[in-house]
Amino acid sequence: MGIELLTGVLLVCILTFFALGAPVGLALGGIAMIIGYLTWGEGIYNIIPSTIEATYFSFILLAIPLYIYMGQLLTKSGIGDAMFNASQMLIGKVRGSLAISVIAVCSMIGAMVGIIGAGIMTSGSIALRPMLERGYDKRLALGVIMAGGGLGILIPPSIPMIMFAATTHNSVGRMFLGAMVPALLMICLLVTYVIVSCRLNPDKAPLLEEQEGVVALTTKQKFITARDGFFAILLIVVVLGSIITGIATPTESGAIGVVGAIVLAIVFKRFKMEMFQSAGLQTAILVSVAMWIIFGASVFSNFHLLMGVQSMVADFANGLDLPPIMIIIMFQIIMLFLGFIIDEFIIVLMCAPLFTPIAVALGYDPIWFGVLMIINILIAVQTPPYGFALFYLKGIAPPDVGMGDIYKSVTPFILLNLVVLIICMVFPEIVLWLPNKVMG
Amino acid sequence: MVITFLRTVCRSIDMAVMLTGKAAGYLMPFLAFVVAYEVFSRYVLGKPTIWAFDLSLFLFGYIAALGGAYAQQKRAHINVDILYVTVSHKTRCVFNLLSFALGIFFLLVIFKMSFGKFEEAIEFDYRRKSEWAPPMYHFWVMLMVACGLFMAQLGRDMLLDLYYLFTGKALIEQESDDGN
Amino acid sequence: EFNWRFSNLYTRGTAFGAVYEGLAKDIETMSDGRIAVQVLYSGEGVSTEGLLGAVKAGLITMGAPFQPMNAGELPVGVVEVGLPGGTDDPVKLKALFHDQGWGEILEKAYGEQGLVWLEPYIQTPVYIITKNPINSVADFKGLKIRAPGAYGKFLRNLGASPVALSWSEIYTSLATGVIDGSIGSNLIDHRDGNHVEVAKYMYPMPLAGAQVLPIIVNRNAWNKLPEDLQAVVRKATENHAQEQLTKSKLWETEAVTDMEANGLLWSPAASDADKKAWAAAGATLWDEYSAQDDYSKQLIDILRKNQ
Ligand code: NA
Ligand code: NA
Repeated sequence: MGIELLTGVLLVCILTFFALGAPVGLALGGIAMIIGYLTWGEGIYNIIPSTIEATYFSFILLAIPLYIYMGQLLTKSGIGDAMFNASQMLIGKVRGSLAISVIAVCSMIGAMVGIIGAGIMTSGSIALRPMLERGYDKRLALGVIMAGGGLGILIPPSIPMIMFAATTHNSVGRMFLGAMVPALLMICLLVTYVIVSCRLNPDKAPLLEEQEGVVALTTKQKFITARDGFFAILLIVVVLGSIITGIATPTESGAIGVVGAIVLAIVFKRFKMEMFQSAGLQTAILVSVAMWIIFGASVFSNFHLLMGVQSMVADFANGLDLPPIMIIIMFQIIMLFLGFIIDEFIIVLMCAPLFTPIAVALGYDPIWFGVLMIINILIAVQTPPYGFALFYLKGIAPPDVGMGDIYKSVTPFILLNLVVLIICMVFPEIVLWLPNKVMG
Repeated sequence: MVITFLRTVCRSIDMAVMLTGKAAGYLMPFLAFVVAYEVFSRYVLGKPTIWAFDLSLFLFGYIAALGGAYAQQKRAHINVDILYVTVSHKTRCVFNLLSFALGIFFLLVIFKMSFGKFEEAIEFDYRRKSEWAPPMYHFWVMLMVACGLFMAQLGRDMLLDLYYLFTGKALIEQESDDGN
Repeated sequence: EFNWRFSNLYTRGTAFGAVYEGLAKDIETMSDGRIAVQVLYSGEGVSTEGLLGAVKAGLITMGAPFQPMNAGELPVGVVEVGLPGGTDDPVKLKALFHDQGWGEILEKAYGEQGLVWLEPYIQTPVYIITKNPINSVADFKGLKIRAPGAYGKFLRNLGASPVALSWSEIYTSLATGVIDGSIGSNLIDHRDGNHVEVAKYMYPMPLAGAQVLPIIVNRNAWNKLPEDLQAVVRKATENHAQEQLTKSKLWETEAVTDMEANGLLWSPAASDADKKAWAAAGATLWDEYSAQDDYSKQLIDILRKNQ
């Protein structure tokens, strides 16, 4: 079977089992092993052990359990909520202000983690419930978490950026700086979108005073909220500080966050032994859900790669006979399509070395191209039907949120990302100005 | 008689899966502690450990794999439920039978390969590549347990679906109807 | 007639890729197309870490693995690559493998795990990059250096504290100061990882002489080949070893030029006392590895005898 046909067959199988409502990770792994058995033979099963060792022994993915645990501890102790309550005491009169503080917190989390899973699931653990409890529109709340959590790979540190720089011999520092202004642009657009859409549909984001049965806080309660909120923000600053000052790597800093959350809970007498267990169990379930997807998807993409999907993409990319900017646009479209079936790391691993030399030969700046690739990946992992960000978001969402809700909730935010992608494509200076200014 | 037996089997699987899931949850604070201790030991004591790296990865793997069956029990695994939520209970049972069978096949392959790796690990004394060099065999045993429980849970769920398909009744009462 | 998959230790896009592509072409042309070889890079189906296992299992037919990654599965591979204190002279290395008996021992060690061991090739050695200059061995005291396995033990003997980190966190960790230095699998690796941006100083002495890496083939696939084709593959790996030797020197020079353009500085040359400390730190390692497994002991005994 040719690779084109095989890719088609795999895609049809995925769509079929997704429609049947099969667990995503098991379906992806199972499809790969059945099609693999039919085309390759029993030998394909040997892909399992090496994939297990590559996914379960990845220190980078360790950020997922550590950060989720930190998030769960903050939530279960009530300290996380205090952070948002405190923000509401300050800017609560602005419609949508809670979503805006969530974006701010997500940006800070984005500056701590370097992978999408940790970004979305941590942001979701801390910030989803406060929005839903205050009567925020479900879709707005979910979309904000998705867009905010996705900032994890756009704001440094970012593992995909490090991988891009390494496989294309470019400066990591330049990549990090190059993504800063686009990230800032993204945050501004997010905040603007929240404010505008809440103006247009006030029901999406009720103000606290509009809710029934809300009793005004006493001065003492206000003080406690402000104090707890302040310390919760301080904890985030401390975790960030531990990365910047070289105490811990971005992965390890999650553990510092866990210790900090426990200390805060004890100091503020919010600690219960039962919290340890319930936060741990909740984290274990979320980690399991994420890792079974990552593992199944890795088995799937490893099979697809062994069958030679990369040469199909390479042949296609090399065969493009178009004006330069059209080639760049085609590359973006190819990556968006790859996002249907492949995860963020594999897209970088596969496309960075294939596409970047062509882009450079056409006279484009590699850092600019790299930042476009990162934004593109951000979009690819959010586009239905297959997108890791979508799966992570569903994992963290309440049980009554279906995948249909998720798809609908992310649409406006995907469009915002597309706007940023297009702006960066049209005005390369947005990417290149800062690295050129700082690094010459 | 048969029904009572089936119920007992289902309940035993539920119990084993739940206990294992909870055990995985108890590993979580331990994992955080190991990583935090490495930071402390390196930054404050100036003496990085040789064991924290591998130990944290092992714990991560244990939590991630062993929690799988419990997540299935809680219906926490991610699925694209767009069509799924619109069809009748019986259709849903058919869908489940198909997708769980695929899942069991995948888990069976993992189980089989893990057993092979376990034998190899014992024969050649496979270890991690680090200086600490802890043995690998227990990891493959753990995976066999994790896959075994996951298969048992899926099998139990399939049994319930089959029972409903044929009798129109739930085998176990509190089984929720929305499949979610 | 025969479809082979050949996977190597580098990701797509690195200079070394061309040499492995060359080996694949060679096998195809020299066998008159009877063997077709598909080249795969690290991460394309199998990671560098899983490569040895994948060739054993036959998922990949031929592999160019990086043996320090397999220290737990095949300890003798670490000795094969080269322990601290080993030579970097290609002539001496060739003698070691072909005349003094390393080859036979390795064939047996790999054979035991279902692998055929073919002509090994030499790549340039491992260097340490640090944030501050190393003026003498004493400066290693207390330095946190990312160095796995044997290299970590060696640096501990010199007074440093080896740290275990994943490759993709080296850059950030050097930038923020989690670590004070890191080894790279060679100078080219330091260039590719952009380490010079965050750590300027290269210590001008390699950790071990040179690195010798194997080419391995799954035994079942090998046995299916008629003898003339087996000879073709052997011959192709010999040509490849020659190609690696010239190219890797050239690329190392290029990498150094690139890094110097980005501000790389060299720590001062090591004094005689430093070199002695270096040798002493390596010596105890030889004993440790000898004690670890029988094949390692046999290799090290030969090494000692011919020193
Ligand atoms: Na980040
Ligand atoms: Na997608």
